[in-house]
Amino acid sequence: MSDQFEPKIVAFLCKWCSSAGSDLAGVSRMKYPPNVVPITVMCSGSVSPLYILSAFKRGADGVLVSGCHPGDCHYIKGNYYARRRIALVKKILEFIGLEPQRLQMSWISAAEGSKYTETIKDFVQELKPLGPQTRLRRGK
Amino acid sequence: MVNLQDLKKEVQKILKEGKIKYFIGYEKREDEPFAKPSFIKKPEDVEKLTWNPTCVHNLARFLVFEKRRKASEKEPDERPVGIMVKGCDSRAINVLIQEKFINREDVYIIGVSCENTGVIDEKKLSKKLKNKQAQKIDFGEKDNFVVTTNDGKMKVPSKEILADNCLECKTNYPVVYDVFLGEKIERKPEDPFESIKKIESLSPKEKYNFWKEQIDKCIRCYACRSVCPMCYCDECVVDSIELSVTAETTADEKAKKIIWTEKSPVSSENFTYHLVRAIHMAGRCVDCGECERVCPVDIPIRLLNKKLEKEVVELFDYEAGFDSDRPPLLSSFKEKDPQEFIR
Repeated sequence: MSDQFEPKIVAFLCKWCSSAGSDLAGVSRMKYPPNVVPITVMCSGSVSPLYILSAFKRGADGVLVSGCHPGDCHYIKGNYYARRRIALVKKILEFIGLEPQRLQMSWISAAEGSKYTETIKDFVQELKPLGPQTRLRRGK
Repeated sequence: MVNLQDLKKEVQKILKEGKIKYFIGYEKREDEPFAKPSFIKKPEDVEKLTWNPTCVHNLARFLVFEKRRKASEKEPDERPVGIMVKGCDSRAINVLIQEKFINREDVYIIGVSCENTGVIDEKKLSKKLKNKQAQKIDFGEKDNFVVTTNDGKMKVPSKEILADNCLECKTNYPVVYDVFLGEKIERKPEDPFESIKKIESLSPKEKYNFWKEQIDKCIRCYACRSVCPMCYCDECVVDSIELSVTAETTADEKAKKIIWTEKSPVSSENFTYHLVRAIHMAGRCVDCGECERVCPVDIPIRLLNKKLEKEVVELFDYEAGFDSDRPPLLSSFKEKDPQEFIR
């Protein structure tokens, strides 16, 4: 084990696309960093800003919200709502001084296992230079 | 100028005709210059009414209480409630109507224009007077207020003691009303988002240091939540729904209790509370500045709302409180909403 900082990522993946995409990455034996804790939610539109804040509060270094591509949502328009909401959450977190790279959003379909691995790889690379997230973490 | 006599006449008329249940306005306080909210039930009581830049409260909050009271009454009085509103308060009513919390028929709105002034910020005033007590404030002059204290009279330029949200106000007259008093004077601020510019230009670390210092002051009295006309949820997400833990409460039941944020005023919990509050206000806040006015520890809460107000205008071309027929911001979308930040 090296002493290098390994970020912890919480990923909220929608059941119908992104979660299936991560499954595909798994069954295809694609390699990607083990830093991510995937949490399946029914829809990216169901991700409350409180989920994101709670993840940061309980020690996540980065949070990923991932849903179906626009137009592909199982519930027709859940990801459109998510897009508006996450955009605002990103802006307000930036405003209070959290690094903007720590909250990311992506569209990953059930067929895009490789996009999932790429997204996680890039995310981990971006978080490494930032160091641990302590600003919203509890007990500090 | 809004003629006070016109206001009194109008209220007296609608009370006599029995058009309204009661009227919510402002009345003079005996011991200090700042006005207080007033509830007028009898036509002869209208003499109490007043209107001047010390009428700081956003009376739309009382419509939330009124709705709750009405829901608990067995035979509710179906007549509307009369209310007196400034520009920002009228926008708050518009949002309540937009979200179908109240119906337009439930309120009889008398709109008063702020014209060239706005409301006085009590904190700024007491700073200006070096903590001396103001006994009387005269509003006769155009750009000055004449403040009387123990030491005599003092001329204060109105710009120095008007509330920040008034200095940045774009629409200082009501946008929804049954009766309108005063003049619509267009007064454009140089930059409606000036107050947040300074913080936006800081680095993430500096931003965090600024906010940590501010937010650590929070004692979680929830005054900002209590005063906000938009905070009308029956159950607030920061309150634990079931609080009681008895001897019979099993570990399983305890584990099931969702506590999003603890009550203890520590840094992380305070951040969660204020961020959640700000996000809930996105596209709904009408910038009446009440949250900041009531804060006992002077946290610049309004800046969080202002930041989101700015983003909402820039990203989604949406302004709260101007159109009650438009769908609310976060329960609508456009296919062309910006998505450059998404991978």
